[in-house]
Amino acid sequence: MQTKVEADFTLDLRGESCPYPVIYTLETLEGMNKGDMLQVITDCPGSFRNVPEEAIAHGYKFAQDPVKNGQEYVFHIYA
Amino acid sequence: MKRIIQPVFQHYWNPYLVLLLAGILSALYFGLTSTVWAVTGEFTRLGGDLLMLFGVDISGWQYFDMVHLQGATWNRPDGWIVWGMFAGALIMVLLSNSFKIRLPQQKRRYVQGLIGGVIAGFGARLALGCNLAAFFTGVPQFSFHSWIFIVATGIGTFFGAKLTKTRWWKGKPSLIRGNAKPTQVKKRIIQPYIGTVIAIFYIGLIIYFFTSGQTLLGLGALFGLAFGILIERGQICFTSAFRDLFLIGRSVMAKAIIAGMAVSSILTVVVIWIYDLTPITQIATLSTFIGGTLFGLGIVMASGCETGMMYRLMEGQLLFLPVFAGNIIGATFLAYAWDHLGVYDVLVKGGSKINLLDTIGPIGAISVTLLMLGGLYALTVYGEKRYHCKLAIKRGMNIHAN
Repeated sequence: MQTKVEADFTLDLRGESCPYPVIYTLETLEGMNKGDMLQVITDCPGSFRNVPEEAIAHGYKFAQDPVKNGQEYVFHIYA
Repeated sequence: MKRIIQPVFQHYWNPYLVLLLAGILSALYFGLTSTVWAVTGEFTRLGGDLLMLFGVDISGWQYFDMVHLQGATWNRPDGWIVWGMFAGALIMVLLSNSFKIRLPQQKRRYVQGLIGGVIAGFGARLALGCNLAAFFTGVPQFSFHSWIFIVATGIGTFFGAKLTKTRWWKGKPSLIRGNAKPTQVKKRIIQPYIGTVIAIFYIGLIIYFFTSGQTLLGLGALFGLAFGILIERGQICFTSAFRDLFLIGRSVMAKAIIAGMAVSSILTVVVIWIYDLTPITQIATLSTFIGGTLFGLGIVMASGCETGMMYRLMEGQLLFLPVFAGNIIGATFLAYAWDHLGVYDVLVKGGSKINLLDTIGPIGAISVTLLMLGGLYALTVYGEKRYHCKLAIKRGMNIHAN
């Protein structure tokens, strides 16, 4: 499934195991300008749940629902 | 059919539900076999098997006598708990079409995994159990050593979390401008078919064990399968239970594990009372504390504990191959150090086996256990609130500065 959303930055975390997807995502969002959009591609199954939950718990908003792409997930989050 | 398949295989299960089931099953397993759900004892025996394979004479090593190194792993119920967990996790990964070879982008992860695995394996066996026998199934056995282990693991994990946050440890992710293409999805789905074949073969094996009178092996294989299914479907990570609270203020896993232990404790005391069983008690002493601290540090360094490593390896996360190897190396080295390097004399000898059932009776034991778990739950909630409170202040300061 292809996404049509245009992201300002992409964090390619394929291969990285937990907790690094969450740490990287939160740190990257923190360093970006408010309102910019970050695309996160991840394939650690643990991160399918904890990346979106923690991004929301840390006050960030999603541009759209997470996209399942085979064995990966793609997230679009506003900084 | 789709309505059943979707929630079972396309979504991970609620961790509370999974840990309640695991707690119930582990109490039942104890009732049926008088042994507990544990894995690192078998890792040590695997190390002993390997040493013998390479011609090392281990006949005088006390630790191998203590963990009853006899026969091959295929003839030990504890062995089947381990292989069953691998099988259950693999079957679930394949049925949900989520297997993929996953290679870390940061090559340093392999070294971190191996070193962390060695430290965790060594620590777990020094404390006479990992996150299962000294924690999830240790507390319901009312063995006081698991109380020490919990505190020590918390301390070890705290320092592990600090280490994880340093730049040289975590490395830098690949951040690119604009969009990147996700991987092309394969049209042909074959994983569920392979998973079904393995499941049929494995269930056949369990039936063979029972029909040929090898009941204990059958129970090990059956419960191992169930535990493997549960930890994979619930993504049960004991490492994250402690670590993520320090790292990102996440508490779901810790709370679910505490709830599971509470249920398991109540059921276990009932099982012990009805069947007049002897609870499994380990020595509580300085080695429990040092072992627990090393274990906590090691699992964070390795990104996964002895059980989390198992299902992650089955998902195709190859980082966990060095972690698994490290666990066995660490556990085997402890078996060597136990008598050859004086670990027993210095750290263990002075301790004794303390069981709360013997010291304060069944009502007292279950009461203080539930109280202790309640205290842990309250601490977890406090830790989470404190983290988010600090976060809110930090965000407020940023807004003000802008």
